[in-house]
Amino acid sequence: MAKVTIDGQEMEFAEGTRLFDACAEARGEALPHFCYHPDLSVAGVCRLCQVEVEGMPKLTIACNTFVRDGMVVHTRNEKVRKAARQILEMHLVNHPVDCPICDQAGECGLQNQYMTYGLYESEVEQADKVNKAKAEVIGPHVILDKERCVLCSRCVRFCEEVTKTGEMGIFNRGDRAEIGVAPGTELANEYSLNTVDICPVGALTSRDFRFQKRVWMLKSTPGVCPGCATGCNVRIDHEAGRIFRLKPRRNDEVNGPWMCDRGRMVYKDVHDEDRLTTPLLRGEAVAWADVEEDLARLLAFGSVGLAVGSARATLEENFLLKRLAERLGAGEMSGGLRDADRGVGDDILQDADRAPNRRGLEILDLAEHDAVTLAGRIGNASGTILLLGGDPAAAPEVAAALQGKDVVFVGTHAGATAALAQVVLPGAAWAETAGVFVNRQGRLQDFPQAIARPDRARETWRILVERLAAAGEDTPPASLRTVRLLLTEAHGLPDLNSLPAVGSVPAAGGAD
Amino acid sequence: MSFEGLPKGSGNKERTFRESIYLWEVLRGLGVTIGHLVRNILHTDDMPTRQYPEEKHVYSDRFRGRHRLMKREDGAPRCVACQMCSTYCPADCIEIVAAEHPDPAIEKYPASFDIDLLRCVYCGLCEEACPCDAIRLDTGIFEIAADQREKFVVDKEFLLNNETDGTR
Ligand code: SF4
Ligand code: SF4
Ligand code: SF4
Ligand code: SF4
Ligand code: FES
Repeated sequence: MAKVTIDGQEMEFAEGTRLFDACAEARGEALPHFCYHPDLSVAGVCRLCQVEVEGMPKLTIACNTFVRDGMVVHTRNEKVRKAARQILEMHLVNHPVDCPICDQAGECGLQNQYMTYGLYESEVEQADKVNKAKAEVIGPHVILDKERCVLCSRCVRFCEEVTKTGEMGIFNRGDRAEIGVAPGTELANEYSLNTVDICPVGALTSRDFRFQKRVWMLKSTPGVCPGCATGCNVRIDHEAGRIFRLKPRRNDEVNGPWMCDRGRMVYKDVHDEDRLTTPLLRGEAVAWADVEEDLARLLAFGSVGLAVGSARATLEENFLLKRLAERLGAGEMSGGLRDADRGVGDDILQDADRAPNRRGLEILDLAEHDAVTLAGRIGNASGTILLLGGDPAAAPEVAAALQGKDVVFVGTHAGATAALAQVVLPGAAWAETAGVFVNRQGRLQDFPQAIARPDRARETWRILVERLAAAGEDTPPASLRTVRLLLTEAHGLPDLNSLPAVGSVPAAGGAD
Repeated sequence: MSFEGLPKGSGNKERTFRESIYLWEVLRGLGVTIGHLVRNILHTDDMPTRQYPEEKHVYSDRFRGRHRLMKREDGAPRCVACQMCSTYCPADCIEIVAAEHPDPAIEKYPASFDIDLLRCVYCGLCEEACPCDAIRLDTGIFEIAADQREKFVVDKEFLLNNETDGTR
């Protein structure tokens, strides 16, 4: 252990702790910085994190210094503030300060540091600044403004150390130094948008999010990415019922501070044209009351032949489906299509299993089947086929087997299954409901509802509870809380109502 | 509840004879009216009634009036759709949709820019917030009338051509 005095406060730190982290702990806030990132190597190039260590002849950068026993450190004295201010002034010499058209404004390191340490009148005329390329598309997701770059090299280190693709580099010297991709190449790795997150300024911005919203207008809700079995923890940034972007939320057990580009785009699904927004009765849009009669017949006791769950539905939804099937005396259950939602995984984050909750089906003992087996079971089942989530009829075998059957589908998107069903009940998409996904490690990850459901859609768990009530369950669970209690009891799970907090939502920005 | 024993209100005051015959009071009222008429005929300049719309009130130079959007030299809007104004607006009545400008030197421009004049409180904070001097409340236009609520939501084209009314 090393005893260190920071701003007059004596604290103990483990040997090998970076002075940067020690200072952050002692101060309750990080030192000003651009280049340091806890998940990347140390570059020490921005010089903003300078502190005074007694006994050292000059100020030293905290990010590249380790704590030593007996160290006395000052982070807030005049000398340190002056240094930060001078360095900041240097970073701003050639900066265009085009905040009005810069998407980073509001979550920009440069703006924030300037408000804390700068606040001087610039002596550099706009006309004297070195001009560089602006709005250069450097990849499928990322757009680069070379003028705004502060050359912190975070993006370069990310591409070298995390994706190991090495697309980004710093070219030229002095005030001509600029960030870029090698000629003829592009920033096309599957994690490229993380460079946008870690870029402390608006040099790298997202093409998808570009000009869509000023960041201070967004509200954030913690969530879990439904893009694959990894279940990256995310922050859903939304406004007026529309999701504008997903950002990773740090969880060192799951995704660290990163997430993949594909996962960031899954939000588009929620606002898809073909969302189911109203109940359908044999293809006709109707009110909820109008499906009651048919549902009473199709989901009467003993009339259900097979109930099929889904690895895309939440743990609670699958649990309620199972409970409903048992109550209706359904002969058979299936967890859904085993081979649906497969892709290519990698050894960074993405899993080949593109469904978020396959482990959840295991917990509920819902076995999945391949298309041929599932089609066979549908063919043999006598009575209604009750389908939950996904689009099982996308598999031609299943679609063929469903022909001529009585089908009730509780789902979110129009597709082959919705087209085949007699009754379609519009449920909630992942961001429109609270729930639990079980990721590939078996972690139970709960998430709250972020946005409102479209039109007449209802929370899927509520639809299933209504069916339970109609099927004569004496005290059907009235809230998701009660559903979770039942689930916890039935399957010996840790209390789902008090899982470790999904994590605080950092204020907009969160570039560490 | 009983009113007995309460003092009589002034309205129940006994009338004097002069009041009860009315004629005297009528003549006194006519006298006031005729007095104003004569004064207005002799001093038309001081007459408080204005012959609107032929004659308009002259406001102080600090009067703001309806907004206008400023133009660049080529006539395009100066606004870069930064949405400072709509963020700052206390009435939340500015609605801007930003878009990519074909000219990379401009980069961002307002695809649409709507102000709901019925909700606006003419505080001028949008003008103060704008970093580009793109929106001004200096037209002096105070005649804002329409026969439908929707017509009070004015768009980019309207605001760009919302020239001052010539009073300044
Ligand atoms: S990078 Fe930051 S300081 Fe620079 S223009 Fe963008 S918001 Fe402004
Ligand atoms: S583009 Fe951003 S992350 Fe990359 S070096 Fe420049 S400022 Fe740093
Ligand atoms: S004058 Fe005030 S209320 Fe009206 S648009 Fe501007 S900021 Fe909003
Ligand atoms: S503040 Fe000015 S430049 Fe920005 S959106 Fe409003 S009018 Fe346009
Ligand atoms: S954060 Fe220490 S030098 Fe940049």
